[in-house]
Amino acid sequence: MKRLLVITLVALFSVGLFGCTAASNSPSTTDETDSSTNKNTNSESDDGEGPTLTYWYWADNSDYSDLMQNIITEFNETNDKGITVVGEEYPWDGGGFMETLFTASVGGGAPDVATFKLTSTPLFTANDLLANLDDYIENWDKKDDIDPNIYDIMKTASGTDSIYLMPWNTQVLYVYYRPSIFEEAGVEVPTTYEEFLTAIEKTTMDTDGDGQTDIYGFGMRGATGGQEPWGSFIHARGGSFDDLTSEASIRGMQDFIDIYENGYVPKTATTDGFNEIIANFKSGHTAMTIHHTGSSADMVETFGDDVSAFPFPAGEGQWTSMGDTENVIFESSEHKDAAFEWVSYLAAEKGQEDWTVATGNVPVSKTVQELDFFQENEFMKASIDGMSYAGIVPIKDTTTEWINTIWPNTIASALLGERSADEAMEILHEGLHEE
Amino acid sequence: MKKKKFNIWPYILISPALLIVAFVVFYPIIEAIFMSFQNYDLRRPDKISFIGLKNYIEMFQDEIFWTAVKNTLIWVILGVGLQFIFGFILALLLNQQFKGRGIVRAVSLIPWATPGVLIGLMWKWIYDGNYGVLNDLLMKLNIIDQPIMFLSQTSTAFSSVIVTIIWQGIPFFAIMILAGLQSISHEMYEAADIDGATKLQKLFRITIPSLKNVIFITIILRIIWVSNSVDIIYSMTGGGPSYSTQTLSVYIFNKATVLDLGYSSGMALLLMFMLATVAIPYIRKSFKEGA
Amino acid sequence: MSKKSFANKCFTLYLPLGLILTFLIFPFYWTFVTSIKPEHELYGATVTYWPKDLTFASYQKLFGEFNFLLPMFNSLLVATITTVVTLTVSTSAAYAFTRFDFKGKRIFMSLFLTNNMFPNVLLLIPLFAIMRSVNLLYTPLSLVVAYATFTIPFSVWMLTGYLKDLPNSLEEAAMIDGANRVKAFFNVVLPVLMPSIIATGVYIFIQSWNEYTFAVLFTNEATRTIPVTLNNLIGQLGVQWDLLTAGGIITIIPVCVLFFFAQKQLIEGLTAGSVKG
Repeated sequence: MKRLLVITLVALFSVGLFGCTAASNSPSTTDETDSSTNKNTNSESDDGEGPTLTYWYWADNSDYSDLMQNIITEFNETNDKGITVVGEEYPWDGGGFMETLFTASVGGGAPDVATFKLTSTPLFTANDLLANLDDYIENWDKKDDIDPNIYDIMKTASGTDSIYLMPWNTQVLYVYYRPSIFEEAGVEVPTTYEEFLTAIEKTTMDTDGDGQTDIYGFGMRGATGGQEPWGSFIHARGGSFDDLTSEASIRGMQDFIDIYENGYVPKTATTDGFNEIIANFKSGHTAMTIHHTGSSADMVETFGDDVSAFPFPAGEGQWTSMGDTENVIFESSEHKDAAFEWVSYLAAEKGQEDWTVATGNVPVSKTVQELDFFQENEFMKASIDGMSYAGIVPIKDTTTEWINTIWPNTIASALLGERSADEAMEILHEGLHEE
Repeated sequence: MKKKKFNIWPYILISPALLIVAFVVFYPIIEAIFMSFQNYDLRRPDKISFIGLKNYIEMFQDEIFWTAVKNTLIWVILGVGLQFIFGFILALLLNQQFKGRGIVRAVSLIPWATPGVLIGLMWKWIYDGNYGVLNDLLMKLNIIDQPIMFLSQTSTAFSSVIVTIIWQGIPFFAIMILAGLQSISHEMYEAADIDGATKLQKLFRITIPSLKNVIFITIILRIIWVSNSVDIIYSMTGGGPSYSTQTLSVYIFNKATVLDLGYSSGMALLLMFMLATVAIPYIRKSFKEGA
Repeated sequence: MSKKSFANKCFTLYLPLGLILTFLIFPFYWTFVTSIKPEHELYGATVTYWPKDLTFASYQKLFGEFNFLLPMFNSLLVATITTVVTLTVSTSAAYAFTRFDFKGKRIFMSLFLTNNMFPNVLLLIPLFAIMRSVNLLYTPLSLVVAYATFTIPFSVWMLTGYLKDLPNSLEEAAMIDGANRVKAFFNVVLPVLMPSIIATGVYIFIQSWNEYTFAVLFTNEATRTIPVTLNNLIGQLGVQWDLLTAGGIITIIPVCVLFFFAQKQLIEGLTAGSVKG
């Protein structure tokens, strides 16, 4: 009896499966033929239909992925050249997105357009995978809608005078803080680096008197990605990425270590990544933490008025990290003109507005920046205030490895007291500037 | 046994398996051998050239490489060893008669059925130093009075990750050994019962000898699998803090994802060589060729 | 049953079983609890072992707007085909390795093993190029081929082990009775081997059901499998715990249910075999 049941189940299972396979296979095969004909022979007589573009992107959550699909649909319906964009979502996977993209493109299967991070530029340009956008931008009617210094950053990233990346949106880091905790600790919003350090110390509190810290002054990020807020400490002492072994840079590093050793940050800081610092801040575990507008909507939802922001204050120097997301067109694309239509739609037209308003990222388009939404938001204001001294970690071919493994492991060893500040800085300098 | 006469059948029987495998793997392995003698770094494609043994020499001078080798040994010995012991015990238990056995068997498969993405995240969440359930439990039981930063300090990070791989591998041994147990004929046990053998005697004289090959093979396969596994360590600690959880395979993965393919191929071949020295004595002993 | 033997059973069965099972199941329980907790409870001041406000919204979302059925179907398709293909070719190879003596046996056996020793991450670039050149990219078949390369060596070895532990006398007796080798294999060896084949099959199924590294590269929106879809829930702005854990639970359950039925079959296969043997 049981045996009969099993056999029936298996049989049903396989019938269902093969039925479905047949059903799902037929449309997908036709799909492929379609796209490959489009790719291989661009000058075909395709009944007045324009080209089809493959676009690879990642989405930071499922709302963003819906948003991107909507933007794509709208572009497909409204563009007057008959261009059809097909969006393919790939996981961000802690940066694994860029590796997948690279593997596919050296294997000859690059999409036409993809979202991109500045730090990977040297790898892709060294292998001649990206299309040069100089001429396209030169002839673009909205060229001046984007600030020249953004174009300059794109050029620096490639190490040439050419632009390979189409700006899309940026994120400027600033300090989130909790006004109620500041009030309780009796500190004002810091305007200098020294005041900032004092504020971290003072807001570290034992609120219930059991001898254990309940609120930490600062949420420190020691895992990958932490090099960005860390850079602000280095620069505040007058140091810089170009010379990490200078006395000033080492002083900044020492501050970072001291904050950890004095217990002003959670002990988990050595491995805390984005999730942890945000969770600690949102649960009231920390009084301050550093991030960008991408998390502001969430913060306001949690705290209402009890969360605010200030730019990372100046010491002997001042610096904050500018994050970024761009779009690139691949050299192998057969439809570069159409691809440029799409990336410029995202950079300065409706696509720009829709994306930045919904995600809270800082727009690159000046017209969009002028919108009330961006002018009136306090977090946007902290970002735009930081713009003037915002920078990026030097982009070399060593940068990705430095960010992913060298920085977090070396910092952890310094925080845990296995290495002194100068030993750690020695390793970090060499790792970044190795030839 | 029949000898000397050439028989085509075994070749026909193994060829489909061999062809599928060869189609995909041989070319990349040969390519890896070539790359390991070049400074094959796709970050600097213009400079790729033959450099002889330089990658290998560099490895021997690389402090991180040696830490990784040491960690790999600990990872494999503790990880596979304890998986096997607990898995074997679980298989023996699941082979006994009791109510709801079918359900218990299915349920004990859970760790193995969990997607890798989730394993790392879930355990990280359990170990969390601020909101983790493990710290909460230990504090409620008055075993500790301060939360332990399991994954954030070098003293506990590696053991915590090893516990996770043990958790994941127990069902593998349990299911594989359980299947072997079921093929042992009952008559042998019945005969032993007549002779008045104790349970322990039956275990060492009947059960283990009849499963000799299965035990060897599961252990060898698991050693290979565990020494090559990246996803759990990668998603829990990324190899940190301060390289304390970085195994050779994680190091290879890190170097390969930044496209330093020459160096990572070299390490991969070295790892293969080390694994082969574990497996080959077994092959030699148990597959003596007739001709 | 006497009292003594019950107490005995407690120590030799229920207690150790209970301990091991607690260790194995607790993380699963925790995943489940996380999937039905609202977010503010996740990072609350106290850890709750059962949610105060229980919510199944994540499950609704997963099947409603998220269309989790498609990746589930794709995973099922890939895992089933991989399992069937692998088991067929590996059983025949394992039979050859254990029942025949032939030149190069040791070399072939070692070749299968070295294959599993090679890290996947170094296979990615060449494999992508191969898949593209044979036009398999973005079809379920590309994953079947990619997975078969590591499930076949594994299964050949595993089944060789099981077959070596089966005494030759079984089939020799049948062959003396006049059955040819093929008949002896299907009538005598296969039924006894069934539990082992099923156990190996479970392994293959789970590996291909959960694999991520190849899946992210060889699939597109239409052919995405579960692990890739789950990974899409971890962005730069944090983990979507609710959807991710709910997705995890839904991934684990079918495998366990399948195994529940498979292991029932396994016992019956065995009794059938021993009757004949």
